[in-house]
Amino acid sequence: MLLELKEVTIPTLDQKCVIINEVSFGIKEGSIHAIIGPNGSGKSTLAYAIMGLGNYKVLHGKILFDGFDITNLSITERAKLGITLAWQEPARIDGLSVYRYITLGLKDTTKMREKVVEALNIVNLEPEKYINRKIDESLSGGERKRVELAAAIAMEPRLIILDEPDSGLDFIVLEDFMNIFEKIKRLNMTILLITHREDIGMVADYGTLLWRGDHIITDVFPKVMLRYCAKAGLKEFCKRTLFKDGAICFDDEYIDRIFREEGVS
Amino acid sequence: MKNIDYPTEILQSLEDYKIDFREFLPGHGKGAKLLLNFNKISGIEQVDGIILKGREIPNGIIADVLIKKGTKVEEPVHLCFGINKETGIQEIFPRIIAEDNTNVKIQAHCSFPNADGLTHKMFGHFYIGKNCEVTYSETHYHGENSGALVAPVSYIYVGENSVFENNFNLTKGTPGKVKILIDIYALDNSVVRSNVKAYGKNSKDSIRIRDSVFLEGENARSVIKLKAAAKDGGEVLMYGITEGNAPHCNGHVECSEIVLGRGSICRARPFIRATDPTSSVSHEASLGRFPQKWLDELMAKGLSEEEATNILIEAMLQEEEKF
Repeated sequence: MLLELKEVTIPTLDQKCVIINEVSFGIKEGSIHAIIGPNGSGKSTLAYAIMGLGNYKVLHGKILFDGFDITNLSITERAKLGITLAWQEPARIDGLSVYRYITLGLKDTTKMREKVVEALNIVNLEPEKYINRKIDESLSGGERKRVELAAAIAMEPRLIILDEPDSGLDFIVLEDFMNIFEKIKRLNMTILLITHREDIGMVADYGTLLWRGDHIITDVFPKVMLRYCAKAGLKEFCKRTLFKDGAICFDDEYIDRIFREEGVS
Repeated sequence: MKNIDYPTEILQSLEDYKIDFREFLPGHGKGAKLLLNFNKISGIEQVDGIILKGREIPNGIIADVLIKKGTKVEEPVHLCFGINKETGIQEIFPRIIAEDNTNVKIQAHCSFPNADGLTHKMFGHFYIGKNCEVTYSETHYHGENSGALVAPVSYIYVGENSVFENNFNLTKGTPGKVKILIDIYALDNSVVRSNVKAYGKNSKDSIRIRDSVFLEGENARSVIKLKAAAKDGGEVLMYGITEGNAPHCNGHVECSEIVLGRGSICRARPFIRATDPTSSVSHEASLGRFPQKWLDELMAKGLSEEEATNILIEAMLQEEEKF
């Protein structure tokens, strides 16, 4: 496993209640692993805790990266080990150019321009049009997210955490983003994808379902999605839409069994 | 202008401001030039339509820049007022006149790379005629030691239908003790933009800026943007003043400051006054630190908190102005 969480508990900042409750699962190197769950289930909290953000401290448990305990490391130290995060709504820092922003995380400062061009190409932004643009309001939400992804890719990390990359994007752009995730995977980078959308999650190899801070299941993604539907009581949606005539199908008997396990007839 | 023996170390700091210092040297570029080393004029290069004259005085120079009526030039006029000594007093008296229908950019650089107890004073007058577009950009570098005592005072008159942009940038090196006073008088239908940026980096740095625009003509408009950062004991005090004294004039003052590290002080005081009931003047001011999320985003790229902060300061002070 590239990343392992062992009974990780994360409280609120005032430590009065628990957001993530003794969660354990692992992420295989080279995979796309989606964390799904409804709003408020603790997906983003978990992502920020893995990145090491100050307001998301692990109260109990351990986070291991390539077998190394990173629970008490700073964001910077984790980034240097090869973990990075592309934010849901990345900031617009007016005085920075796209070029400068992408080069900030480069480990090797030789051939910087080539690396920036390559990263922009991967996220389908034309380098000559974007390289000198400012990271300001003139970039659309989708463009800003692509620049954020390009900056993450240019770092050549081992693990990229993508925090709800689908938020605020139309379905045409969404399709493009899913292709980009596949390209990142081919670069031997592992993706931890935080999402609450089943369509974007379908690009994932594996998944983990969080429900009100609890870990429900970690498995191949379709099984995780099926369990999500069962917990949410979305049987018809599940049968008619999600797994209908797809490459990955469950027979009705199996679907009914999972729903029964969750108390849905 | 013939080749001159001008200390390159005076010009070198232009690179920090991303300005090619060779543009200031003889034989490079097509712009008019005036180079001063302490109280000696090292060279003057003229171009058609622009007259540069300098008269040496015991501690400096009286410099006249005359842009003749109708002159429109792309290449900036380059002025460099430098001293490569550690101490001394330099006094500059620039008189800049842009006659009607002119279009010119002036790039001035005041550089004291070895300053350690040095004083630089400027007492400038700008007269901008009707229908002009004039940009005056001034960069400063006061070395890395203890900075200098620098006190520039500028009185600027902007004529009818003219656009004047003032850019003052003191963000590299150690500024020292700096007192800047800028008074701009805007006549009918004129537009004034004034951008001042300063960065106090340690307890040796004390920067006081008063940037004022007096909207004296009907429909005159102005924006003052003051940006500063103070860290590790540095002190920055900024006054942004706008008075609306004419019908339908419109002005805005914006002060933003970032304060970092123990002992640092930032004070921003926008001051607005309207004496005409049809005028409109507004202000906004912000003081504080960068949002934690911004720092986190940069730190997730492997930067330390200090490196991330420095990048954000650099970004704030380099931000291009949009109007």
